[in-house]
Amino acid sequence: MQRKMKESDPILEVQNLFASTDNLPILKGVSLTVNPGEIHAIMGRNGCGKSTLSKIIAGHPSYSITSGDIKFSGENINSLEPEERAQSGIFLGFQYPIEIPGVSNLEFLRVSTNARRKFLNKEELDTFDFEELVKEKLELVKMDHAFLSRSVNQGFSGGEKKRNEILQMALLEPKIAILDETDSGLDIDALRIVASGIKKISNAQTGIILITHYQRLLDEIEPNYVHVMADGQIIKTGGSDLALELEKKGYEWTDNFVKET
Amino acid sequence: MEIIEQIKTNKLFENQTEIQKICIDKLQSNPLPNPKSELWRLSNKSKFSNLLDYSINEKDPKFDIPFLNNTQNIIRLVIGEDNKIFLKGENYSIRQLSKNILDEYIKQKISSFDQNEHWSDLLNLSLSCEKNILGLKINGSKIPPIEIFSHASSNSLTAKTLVIFVEKNCDIELLQVNLCEENSSLSQSTFLCLEENSSIFHGVVSYGENKSHLLNSLNVIQQKNSEYKLGSLHFKLDYARFEIRVKQSAGNAKTNIKGMQITKNDEQISTHTKIDFNGPNGFLDQINKSLADDKSHAIFEGSIIVPKIAQKTDASQLSRNLLLSNRAQIDTKPQLEIIADDVKCKHGATISQLNEEELFYMRTRGITLTEASKLQLSSYFQEIISFIPVSKDRWDLLDKLLHEN
Amino acid sequence: MVNENLVKDVVKEPYKYGFVTDIETEKIAKGLNEEIVRLISQKKEEPKYLLDFRLKAFKKWQKMEEPDWAGLGYKQIDYQDIIYYSAPKQKEKIASLDEVDPKLLETFDKLGIPLTEQKKLTNVAVDAVFDSVSIATTFREELAEHGVIFSSISEAVKNHSNLIEKYLGTVVPASDNYFAALNSAVFSDGSFVYIPKGVTCPMDLSSYFRINSGDSGQFERTLIIAEESSSVSYLEGCTAPMFDTNTLHAAVVELIALDDASIKYSTVQNWYAGDEKGVGGIFNFVTKRGKCLGKRSKISWSQVETGSAITWKYPSCLLLGEESVGEFYSVALTNNLQQADTGTKMIHIGPKTKSTIVSKGISAGNSINSYRGLVKVGAKATGSRNYSQCDSMLIGDQASANTFPYIKSQQPNSEIEHEASTCRISEDQLFYLQSRGIEFEEAISMMVSGFCRDVFNQLPMEFAAEADKLLALKLEGSVG
Repeated sequence: MQRKMKESDPILEVQNLFASTDNLPILKGVSLTVNPGEIHAIMGRNGCGKSTLSKIIAGHPSYSITSGDIKFSGENINSLEPEERAQSGIFLGFQYPIEIPGVSNLEFLRVSTNARRKFLNKEELDTFDFEELVKEKLELVKMDHAFLSRSVNQGFSGGEKKRNEILQMALLEPKIAILDETDSGLDIDALRIVASGIKKISNAQTGIILITHYQRLLDEIEPNYVHVMADGQIIKTGGSDLALELEKKGYEWTDNFVKET
Repeated sequence: MEIIEQIKTNKLFENQTEIQKICIDKLQSNPLPNPKSELWRLSNKSKFSNLLDYSINEKDPKFDIPFLNNTQNIIRLVIGEDNKIFLKGENYSIRQLSKNILDEYIKQKISSFDQNEHWSDLLNLSLSCEKNILGLKINGSKIPPIEIFSHASSNSLTAKTLVIFVEKNCDIELLQVNLCEENSSLSQSTFLCLEENSSIFHGVVSYGENKSHLLNSLNVIQQKNSEYKLGSLHFKLDYARFEIRVKQSAGNAKTNIKGMQITKNDEQISTHTKIDFNGPNGFLDQINKSLADDKSHAIFEGSIIVPKIAQKTDASQLSRNLLLSNRAQIDTKPQLEIIADDVKCKHGATISQLNEEELFYMRTRGITLTEASKLQLSSYFQEIISFIPVSKDRWDLLDKLLHEN
Repeated sequence: MVNENLVKDVVKEPYKYGFVTDIETEKIAKGLNEEIVRLISQKKEEPKYLLDFRLKAFKKWQKMEEPDWAGLGYKQIDYQDIIYYSAPKQKEKIASLDEVDPKLLETFDKLGIPLTEQKKLTNVAVDAVFDSVSIATTFREELAEHGVIFSSISEAVKNHSNLIEKYLGTVVPASDNYFAALNSAVFSDGSFVYIPKGVTCPMDLSSYFRINSGDSGQFERTLIIAEESSSVSYLEGCTAPMFDTNTLHAAVVELIALDDASIKYSTVQNWYAGDEKGVGGIFNFVTKRGKCLGKRSKISWSQVETGSAITWKYPSCLLLGEESVGEFYSVALTNNLQQADTGTKMIHIGPKTKSTIVSKGISAGNSINSYRGLVKVGAKATGSRNYSQCDSMLIGDQASANTFPYIKSQQPNSEIEHEASTCRISEDQLFYLQSRGIEFEEAISMMVSGFCRDVFNQLPMEFAAEADKLLALKLEGSVG
């Protein structure tokens, strides 16, 4: 990514993407462009391919791209390793954050933050400096310092896991954050904390993709675009009112849509 | 196998000690273990024969203990070098067993040895010369941690023997370090005797350089109300066998074992444990971890024996294995033999690779695959390493494991 | 509790299959040599390839040694003191069931397996084997309509020689082990099943094995072939009279499943176990193995082992086809001086193969009950999974339970998980049941059958009831 980017160039371009796992096609031609400062929401039923799309953008090894391209800051990233994508500024917030017994949360956060900082030619942080940084970011998600000494996500409640995801996002300062059902399993208070965390981190240079079933996260963070996915394709795109309409009419309403070209 | 020939023809030593004589006698007609028996079936034959392809080392060159600079109060002994030990502290004493007592004890042990099961001990005692047998009697309290070193120098086979009596109400922390130089074999047999109400927190760390071989045998007798904790780690050895036999002579004792073996290249390391409950209310918690990479082979065999007399035994054994390459092999064979009816016994075994979802999660946070694997491995190691006494400060084992090849 | 009343009824019964049928039999002389092997083959009018198969096996057997790795204690078997062929005398060619000796029909009636047209079981086709030969097979015409072949193996040798020649000995080779070699040399009869492509067998198939004479061994051989996309459920039952001598039973069972085929093989083994002093009883040395040859094929073994003085049996699966599945569900109950050494081998060869093992061992009296298993994942079996669970229950303080699960893996991209536990019936549980008015022995059998539930759920309906009854019966007097 040596080429100098213009501020207004798209951050992420997904171009007619087909992908499969175990020879089973999951994505059947998805196109999506995210420009700086934009918030996109992707909605759809379970199994429509929206989580898969997020994993493929992050580089999950179980899926393979059969055709199409993913461009990040204008560069094709189809063959990049997951860590290279993360270091260059792609962040995936997991629907089900993974528990990693025995690996300390603090150590995990420090190693990943430094990996990103190294990429950005920023100075890597030692334990003390890092603790300072974390302390500040913990405030954002109203997490207790004690979380740091526990194993990654192990024994965390659903809400704690999601807040830990947002904490990671805050530390990594991504250019694009794809948040996969970050709202699921959260009570109203936790949802507010998560939403305000997301808002504070995003700015005019970053892009956000919110993957969700429900309107309630979108009440907190208003998207510029809403996409509806079904059977591995985006079948309709609209503004934030599309989500409201969907909430009212349910997904049956979308069953009649033909793919918009 | 030069040594075996010498045993067969009784040309091993000119001046044999009584113990050597008894052992050589026992081995003479049948000097090798039965390769078909369960204990030896998986043992790599050519590596085993390499182990025996050295001549006996009778004169040890001076050995320099690694990782010396330390201010802690630690008692450090090297088998074969330290003689006439008599250490006395305010509340304790560590003294050498008299030759009579030591010989009597060993002779009595030998009389119950089965040629196949105790082959490693018989070989050890056939080869161990008098100065390489260290016998200690420990009593008292507030005893500083003890470290005992055994070491094999290049181009030779070295045999060392350790006997420790821990007297009533006495607690010790004991770290045994077995080091093999390049091209060497070490035979280390240890006999621990825990009297009533005593406890040992025991660590065994063994590693070597290129082409090193180890026969490590550990025999523990636990009397009533004693507690035996063992953390062990074997790595970087071309061929190693770690045999552990624990007998709770009258039950009512606690045994806690956490062991790990790491194999790379074409190494073979095996652990064989036998826990014998010879009385009621015994407790065992055991975990063995193996990690096999490249073309290596890791073996775990663990038997638990609960006879009728051992009612209310509570024993659990876990075998956790990581297979990192598709040319490596892992064999695990738990074995439970239970006659008492009022017991709680469970065991489990798993063989798998590093967890892919965990790895992916870390990679999406920018941590490289190598780094993520290391993090996962270190958490896998940590459980065992944190159970090895006095290791934390000076023995940065984790670093050694993760960064050395 | 499904079968509470049944349990109650049978608790006090002695071994009820212990009677002898007085019938004229044709026996050959005791002993084993090449001539005997030739004689058996001749009596069965076999083609040359089968005689050659037997002779080759016999030569191998002569060079082999009886295995002792299971550490079973039993009086040495004198292989020259056994009659290798014994058949009830009847007319040369039997046109219909009416011509079968009424005494034989009566025997199977008494065993609860009526064979005649009027009385036969309605939902199960039965092949009845008496000593060395098959007496009758029911529902043959109905099965033939679906293209299913179900007959004695002797008949199959005559009528479907090509299939026998193609498959016999391909799963359990003659030289596989000592007892398989012996069986290959002298097998007398057994069942043959062939399910053609795409056919789901319309009813359960069943073989019932009866040992009648005291001095002859039983060496039956079963071969089941399930062609592509076919499926079959097969049941096997066994009983024998009470003799104070030991009778040798060395069977071989071979199963072959092609693409998408599934075979379910269930056994309730209730050979005579000997008396409480350990006198008499069947020595049961059996080799059972299935080959999942085809993609997505499945072989499932379920067994309830309650009889025999000695059981040595490891129904196994060779998982060759991609995504093939092997299962083993076992209950083994031993009492008095019985010894059971049983388990399974799951050999994962093809990619994405899966296996499940659930074993429940119950040992009472002075018996020894061992689970011995092998799970092996080969270098090419990428993405394979195994889950094993082996539980033991001890009743009384003289019985022993051993577990020897052996796991071997050469494939990092595979997962193997094994769990085992040992327990006894807790006094609290017993007290709770008793305080609700349940009789002591009934409480025990309730708990035992609860312990075995996972396995019983895998058995066909009639068998599950039978199995429950058997356990209750076997446990009589073992507690208290």
